[in-house]
Formats: sequence, C-alpha cells, structure tokens
Amino acid sequence: MRQTTSRNLLKNHLWLIAPAALMVGIFFLYPLCFSLYSAITLDNGAFTLSHLHKAFELYSNDILFTIVIVLSSVVILAVLSVTIAALITLSPFRSLTKTLGFLYRLPLFIPFIVTAQMMRTFLAKNGLMNNAFVASGLLTPMDTVSFLGWSGIIITFVWKQLAFSTLLISGAMAALDDSQIRAARNLGASRLRILFQIILPQIIPTLGVAMVLSIVTMMSVLSVPLMIGTGSPTMMTADMAFRINSYGDYHVANALGLVSYCICAGLAWFYLRQNLKEKGAN
Amino acid sequence: MAHLHIKNLQAGYGKKMILDNINLTVEQGEMIALLGPSGCGKTTLLNALCGFVPVSNGEIFAGDRAVSQLPAEKRNITMVFQSYALWPHMTVAQNIGYGLKVQKAKRVEIENRVTELLNIVKLEGLEDEKVTALSGGQRQRVALARALAIRPDVLVLDEPLSNLDAKVRLSVRHEIKALQKQLGFTSLIVTHDQEEALVMADRIAVLNQGKIEQIGTPEEIYHHPSTPFVADFMGAENHIEWPTNDDAFHLSLNNHAAPLDIYFRSENAVLSTQPSAIKDDFHTGLVINGHVAQSVFFGNNYQISVRCGKHTIQADHDQNLPEHTPVTLRVPIDALYAFTKNEKHSEHQKNHAVSV
Ligand SMILES: Nc1ncnc2c1ncn2[C@@H]1O[C@H](COP(=O)(O)OP(=O)(O)O)[C@@H](O)[C@H]1O
Ligand SMILES: [Mg+2]
Repeated sequence: MRQTTSRNLLKNHLWLIAPAALMVGIFFLYPLCFSLYSAITLDNGAFTLSHLHKAFELYSNDILFTIVIVLSSVVILAVLSVTIAALITLSPFRSLTKTLGFLYRLPLFIPFIVTAQMMRTFLAKNGLMNNAFVASGLLTPMDTVSFLGWSGIIITFVWKQLAFSTLLISGAMAALDDSQIRAARNLGASRLRILFQIILPQIIPTLGVAMVLSIVTMMSVLSVPLMIGTGSPTMMTADMAFRINSYGDYHVANALGLVSYCICAGLAWFYLRQNLKEKGAN
Repeated sequence: MAHLHIKNLQAGYGKKMILDNINLTVEQGEMIALLGPSGCGKTTLLNALCGFVPVSNGEIFAGDRAVSQLPAEKRNITMVFQSYALWPHMTVAQNIGYGLKVQKAKRVEIENRVTELLNIVKLEGLEDEKVTALSGGQRQRVALARALAIRPDVLVLDEPLSNLDAKVRLSVRHEIKALQKQLGFTSLIVTHDQEEALVMADRIAVLNQGKIEQIGTPEEIYHHPSTPFVADFMGAENHIEWPTNDDAFHLSLNNHAAPLDIYFRSENAVLSTQPSAIKDDFHTGLVINGHVAQSVFFGNNYQISVRCGKHTIQADHDQNLPEHTPVTLRVPIDALYAFTKNEKHSEHQKNHAVSV
C-alpha cells in the first residue's frame, strides 16, 4: 500500500528533482567523467594507459610522499583531537575546559591559504617561532632550523583540521550518557581506562568519519604544499597544477587526478559503510 | 559490606547548596529508602556519597573509612543508575565483570563471579548477549549484578524502578528486596513512590528540600508522621486548618485551643448518607457535613469528593453516589494527624496534646 503510493508520488513529482539533478549532472558529473575520460584517452579518443604510466613514472615519489604526509597528519590529528576531546569531557577542571573548548574552534574559521601564510611566517628559519626561541635564549640563531617542508605541511594540516575533528569527536563524547562514565568510576576505573575502554570504543565510527573527511580535505589542498613545501618531493595537487600551468598537459594532470580519486574513493567506501552500520544499529 | 554513616553532610552544585546538614546511619545489611518529591535532592545525596558531587561540609563513613575526600574510584560505594548506564559495546558478562577486570582479578575468578551473579539475578545463559538486546527489567538486573560484582561496602540505587513498566516494576521490586535479604547488602534506595519505600525498606528517610524530615520504620512513618510534609507525602492528603470557622466541622480533640494543621487519609474518612444520625462515640475525632461534588470509580471503591464550605475532602466509599447528596464524614481520632501551626516541625500533637 505504502509502496504503491510512494511510487505514484515519485512518478508524478519526478520533475521536482529535475533542476537539482541537472545541476549535479552539469557541474559535477560531467566534469568528473570528462576528467576521468581524459585521463585514459588520447587526443583522438583512443583508449590508452600512457598518461597513467607517465604519471607514475614522473610522480610516483610524489604520490608516495602525498600518502605518507596525509597518513602521518591524520594519525597525529586523531591522537590530538581525541586527547583534547577527552580533556574536555573528563577533566574535573570546568573553567579550564571551557577556555579550551573555545580556543580549539578558532582554526575552523580561518581559510587554508591564510593558515598556510601564517604558518610560513611562523615556521621559517627566521620566522616567529625561531625568533621567540632565540629571544628566550633557548637557541642561538645558528641552531635554528626551518620547519618549511614536509614537517611544516604536516603541522599546517594538523593545525587546520584539528578544530573540525575535535568538534566532531567531542560532540560524540558529549552525547554519551554521563552516567556511563560515572558507573565506570564507581567500579574503580581511572580516567585513562575509561577513555580507552568505555568512551573510545563507542566513538570509533565518529572518529573514522572525522579522519576520512580530513584526509579528503588534505588531499585537495593546493596552497599548503605550494607555500610551505620545498618543491621536491611535493604533493600531487602541486604536480597537477604544474602539469597544467607549465605544459598545458591536461591528460597527465587528469591521470594524477584519477589516482587521487581512487585513494579517496576507497576512503569514501569506508565512510559510507560506517554510516550504514550506524543507521542499522539505531 | 559495612555500615554507612553520614554526618552533618552539606553538598551542592557550585554555590548552590542542595543538601543541608544530613545525618543518617545505615546499619550493616540494612536497606533505607530515601523518599521525597522530585527535585528534593535525592540524586544529589547519592552523587555526594559516590563522589560525583563534592562534599562541602561534613563526613561520610563507609565502615570505618572516611571517604568524603576520596575520588569516586576509591570509595567502594557503587550505584545502580536510573537509566541503567550499561555500556552498549560490551556483552552482559563484560558489563558485570568490568569492576573485577579493573581490579585485575584473574580471568577464571571473573568468569566464576559473573556466572554466580547471573544466577543470583536470574539471567542464566545471557552472558554473551549484547545489553542492547535485553528488556528494561533484564537491563536493570544486569546493572544490579554489575554493581554487586565487586562486593561494595555500600550499594546505592537511584530510582531503579522508575523506567520500568508497572508489571515489571513489581517483579523487579520484589527481586531486589529478596536479594537484599539474601545477600544482606547495606543499601540506600531512592524513590519518590511511597508504596515502593514502604514495601522495600527496613527504614525510611523522608527528604524535603535537602533536609531529612523524619527517619523511621515504614510503620512509624506511615502511622506517626512527625511533620505536615511527611503526613501529606505519605498519603494523608486531606488538609484542613483549624479553626475553620465553619459549622460543618466538629472537632473533638480535647485540647485544641491553638491553631492546628490537620491531615487525614481518604480511606479513614467514614462516609454515611444519614446526616440526621449524628451520634458521636468517643473514637470520632472529626465530623464533617457536606455534599457530594464528584464520585470517581477506583476499582475496589469510589473516591468521593465532598464539598463542605470552602474545603473539598476526599473520602473512600463502596458505592457510587449522585452529586449533591448530603453526607457526613467521620474520622476516627487516631487517624487524625494534627500539628500545632507555629512550630510545624517540633511537636507531634497526636501523641501529646490529643487524648480521648
Ligand atoms: N548538575 C546540576 N547543576 C546544578 N543544579 C543541579 C544539578 N543537578 C541537579 N540540580 C538541582 O539540584 C536539585 C536537586 O536535584 P536532584 O538531586 O536531582 O533531585 P531528585 O530528588 O529529583 O533526584 C534540583 O533543584 C536541581 O535543579
Ligand atoms: Mg533523581
């Protein structure tokens, strides 16, 4: 009964979703398919793997570099955001956690390019951080090292994504019934044990989602590797920009794009699966 | 198990004091019910005992240990929560055994204790079940087993039955009581339901606005309430202020010069439909003439609202009565709870000033 009515409804009102479907088609699906098509065809339309081959030949180091950078960032990110969220949830010091709760949200409102610029002046050999160390007498100007390069990229990514993932994770922690934590303390469990045995197992799906979304974001940022990276090896986004700007070589750029789609698609699959699992549980 | 001794306890949230000078001793193996209306501070008291709310004054002794300054995890006082507070990612056995696991007990030992407890709370064979698959009654029994597993000094239960439906509530209530007798744990159970308190507790402490109004056996609390609040809360909801300046009321207490607050239960108001036949024997304390305003069917009897002047009095009766029927209510003298008005909390008139 309900099925037939909803089917009728669908038939009669299909045109309602047409504008949205059209927008998605024109502005998203078409460019996406075209870019995939361009990655595996020659100019005359014949199928080829040569672009992909070339992409791997020239940039396999950079692909690896990208994966390592993104994974390291995401691991650090997970540790830091779980720590901050746990401090906020479990700490007995209410006023401290309120300040923390406000501070960690700030980066949420700062665009990537501004973050990159900020980090550049902060992390450089004669940047703010080193100047502060020198001024405080901890280092001499000779000892200072520049953090620009791979470590700078990681720092920037983590700094920028921390707010977002902490927000998600502390939200999930706050949603847990407070008496669950009390019940554990009651039975003698320390705060650390409660974090690992009571809280974390229940927020793993949210943690996963936060990490996947962060990875996809980091994979797509161009400004950070350009402004903070040292050139070689660099991240795939920088290579794509280089292929297009310097050679007008859309094929190889798209082939690189295909590789990063594949990495993200794997993660998206994980994300969807978790989402479905959560829905199934409720 | 040990006895629990609460001495001059003060506690609250921030600057807001909720509990005021609480003194209470729960003997070893005794179950005391904390009875009071919603918001009077019952949960806060349990939280203070468990260490979730800081104690600003006074001391708590579990056995001989002073625990008020210990963190929650060191107190060995466990709580059964109103919302069960089971961990959904663990099985029944993992939930129950968690406290022992924290104490680093051996695996065999944990397994044995879990099996033992599952037997005690009648959940044999459910150890590998997810707690989310259990019914409310079963969940509360898991929560009880979990709290008992580590053999706490004191067990506190925060309205453990309030989330269960009526029928399950009766059976779980019975089981908790039976278990408490069998295992002899020292416990403090919170409830806002007077019947629950009467049935389950060895003694009852009535709490009102953060203060204990009266402590006593169920019989004492029920038959000899020492304050108007306790009388009202224990079901004596008919209240008149004496003198009423109304001819419909005849009070035959022999010493009632002072203004009084008088309380009595509807079941003690004997209703008769022959107003002419007023012939009071010496047991009758209060006679009221009035008219039926409403009659409501209550299963085994009717509750009749009787209008007399500006008062409405509830009385039980075995027959339905049409509206406006003139009736007479007689309340026996020992069913009247009379309190002198000015010193509400000090004197229980029924035992002193009133005599037959
Ligand atoms: N976390 C809290 N912060 C501030 N006030 C609270 C908090 N919890 C309860 N209160 C207040 O304390 C009083 C007693 O609450 P509670 O102990 O929960 O009552 P109950 O007897 O219903 O269990 C109430 O007035 C309530 O508003
Ligand atoms: Mg409560």
